Amino acid sequence: MVEYRIDRHSGVATYVQIVQQTKQALRLGLLRPGDRLPTAREVVEATAINPNTVLKAYRELEREGLVEARRGLGTFVRRSLGAAPADDSPLRAGLGAWAAQAREAGLDREDVAALFAAVLDDVFPAPDSPSGHADHPTNPSSKPALQGGDPS
Amino acid sequence: MSALASPLPTAPGPLPAAPARSAALTRDLRWLLRLHRPALYIWAALVVVLAAALLWLAGPLTDASADAWHDYDACHGEGACSYYQDAILRYKNVYDCTTIALTALPFLVAAWSGAALLGRELESGTAHLAWTQGISPVRWLAVKLAAPAVLVTAGTGLLVWLHHHAWSAANGRVDTAKSWYDGLTLHANGPTTVGFALAGLGCGALAGLLWRRALPALATGLVATAAVRVLVDRLMPHLWPADTSVTSLRRGIRGVGITVDEGIVTSTGAHLPRPHCPPEDAVHGCTSTYAKADAVGFFQSYHPVSHFWPLHLVTTAVLLALVVVLGTTAFALVRRSTGGTARNRRTGVAG
Amino acid sequence: MTSRPTPPYALRAGALGKRFGRRGAWALRDCSFRLPAGRVCAVVGPNGAGKSTLLALAAGLTAPSEGAITVLGTDPASARARVGYVAQDKPLYPQLTVAETLRLGADLNPGHWEPSVAEAVVRAGELDPRARVRSLSGGQRTRVALALALGKRPDLLLLDEPMADLDPLARHELMGTLMAQAAQYGTTIAMSSHVVAELEDSCDHLLLVGGGRVRLAGEIDELIEAHARVSAPAESADLTGHTVVESRTTGRQLTALVRPGGPLPAEWRATPPALEELVLAYLRNPQAAPLTPAEPADEAGTAADATDRTGNATEAAA
Repeated sequence: MVEYRIDRHSGVATYVQIVQQTKQALRLGLLRPGDRLPTAREVVEATAINPNTVLKAYRELEREGLVEARRGLGTFVRRSLGAAPADDSPLRAGLGAWAAQAREAGLDREDVAALFAAVLDDVFPAPDSPSGHADHPTNPSSKPALQGGDPS
Repeated sequence: MSALASPLPTAPGPLPAAPARSAALTRDLRWLLRLHRPALYIWAALVVVLAAALLWLAGPLTDASADAWHDYDACHGEGACSYYQDAILRYKNVYDCTTIALTALPFLVAAWSGAALLGRELESGTAHLAWTQGISPVRWLAVKLAAPAVLVTAGTGLLVWLHHHAWSAANGRVDTAKSWYDGLTLHANGPTTVGFALAGLGCGALAGLLWRRALPALATGLVATAAVRVLVDRLMPHLWPADTSVTSLRRGIRGVGITVDEGIVTSTGAHLPRPHCPPEDAVHGCTSTYAKADAVGFFQSYHPVSHFWPLHLVTTAVLLALVVVLGTTAFALVRRSTGGTARNRRTGVAG
Repeated sequence: MTSRPTPPYALRAGALGKRFGRRGAWALRDCSFRLPAGRVCAVVGPNGAGKSTLLALAAGLTAPSEGAITVLGTDPASARARVGYVAQDKPLYPQLTVAETLRLGADLNPGHWEPSVAEAVVRAGELDPRARVRSLSGGQRTRVALALALGKRPDLLLLDEPMADLDPLARHELMGTLMAQAAQYGTTIAMSSHVVAELEDSCDHLLLVGGGRVRLAGEIDELIEAHARVSAPAESADLTGHTVVESRTTGRQLTALVRPGGPLPAEWRATPPALEELVLAYLRNPQAAPLTPAEPADEAGTAADATDRTGNATEAAA
């Protein structure tokens, strides 16, 4: 079971935080296919965030094919994410070499982070956000339904 | 939703899913009495203490006082004359105290109803709590007025009856016993006191609803009840046709009771106010003044003791009519200020 | 228990106004908005803006001086049984104990009282059930008042400054409880605060009240989407065509909060405003044109519109 921790001051939209933390849990193997995500009720009771935010995050995960909602039962993991590249993978080695290069070129830590983020944005554009407003969906009027509850 | 049987350890058994009307009423009454328990206890204590005092007055005190008066009246001329003066004084004190207490009850009711029953609830917002916890404002007011009205009627009714009983026991036996038409005794002996108490409840309630604050409602309730008392007291003799007796100049005015009007009768039979009698004529019995005014006798319209019940019943009816008006106004006020009872008006949102 | 059909809107106000006394000042005026069912709405505004008046009108505790408000598809008086309300000063009967207060709630709401919810709220605060209400602290009273309102299992919960007396821990916990109610039962919640940040994460709908009028109403996402904070060179910037909420020129730089009326020039730097920023801008500039959803049309039109807006929403807790 995954527990979400919402950081109000991170500047990252709350639903994005849930998406990211879910993916992180998938990568780390904390969540496996067939596992049930916490219900919206469970999440909001612990985090005091709006239920629709949770459902929006779950919809996003569902859209990416990572989870599926089974009516009346909850939301379940469909597939896991490939584990993060291990410490000795070539990708990591390449990035390490690039970082060393950047330091030699006189960049400090923040410069590197900014550069890395900019390249990430170019190569992996944020989903559904052509305007660059990653925090704000373009179609907010399609409100999520309040499902995933478990009324007794 | 099958688990509605309350697991609260203190809950009085499982709750009915759809309570009957009477069950709902019992429930509302139970909470009203719970919330105003101190007032209920004080009222009960007051009634018990006053009732005991009146029974004491009607029995031992009256007998002792009558004996003392008997001894006193037996004294003639000089010589040692022994009578038990304390008995006379004690009777008088207890009589005065109980009568004043009975007179004051409507004011107490008014102050409580204005301040504690309604004003404070509206001031602190607990009225809003009740209205959003399943009691509609109109029902809330109905319970709040009906239950105290019953208790006030029962309490004052009992005390008035006992007072009348005590008064009757002394009437004719105790020389200083109050006459039936004496200001305080008149009302303390009959149902008008019940009427005053209910009017006090109504005045206080209305003041509480209008002010929505305890202290101003208390003051307003008291003033309004005092006004009702004074006005109705003035009005009372005119609510039942008075007897008129005509007597000769020599016999003078003789009727005993509540005098409505009196004066002279002229030779033409006209009834006129008594002319002013200058002091130098007064020593001669005003004879020349009456002669000048062509007076041949006196008239007096008054209520003899036989009018006690008609006067009381009509006056009480007038008071009850006032109570109805006060109550209706209170309900209209609550209804208007809270947007009406459920489903009694169409609410369409205009564009 | 009868199933309650859920109307599309929990609250609909049309030209709603309230003043106290015949010649008194207007506490609320010309107030039109719609709150769809199932939303958690922040009623935000400075002190004395009319938030409490609005909530009391919705709770059927006071009658409007003009206009009308529809609550759960009916008039406020008829809706009272399905509405939970907690007033700002959390009135309770001081002479009752905590247990008695809950029993009062159970007794007065026969058929739809959920004792477990109310008791859980009280238990989480470690309140002694035998303690008299008059001996409780402000935060504890808030807890009992919320327990009463929640135990009633309302369809609409109206909370006036519910978090004001609570410490941060209790605030988080009770907000979680409220959100759980909304998640499980689809309860619509409208809660007021003069602190936007307090409600930001928990609410998806906003009603900004200022000076007795509604300044902003709608989904928070949509409201933010509809605005942009722009900065542009002062000499070349032309804001015509856009609704300007606030603008300031510092040196050669113009910064403004606008509602774009069309595409913004590419050379302007435009960022979405934060919610608090948006709220403050509207409150600082009372002359800025309010943004509230399209005026409610006639009944039929509104119903059709409602289906549009909530078209893909399968309603609460299937």
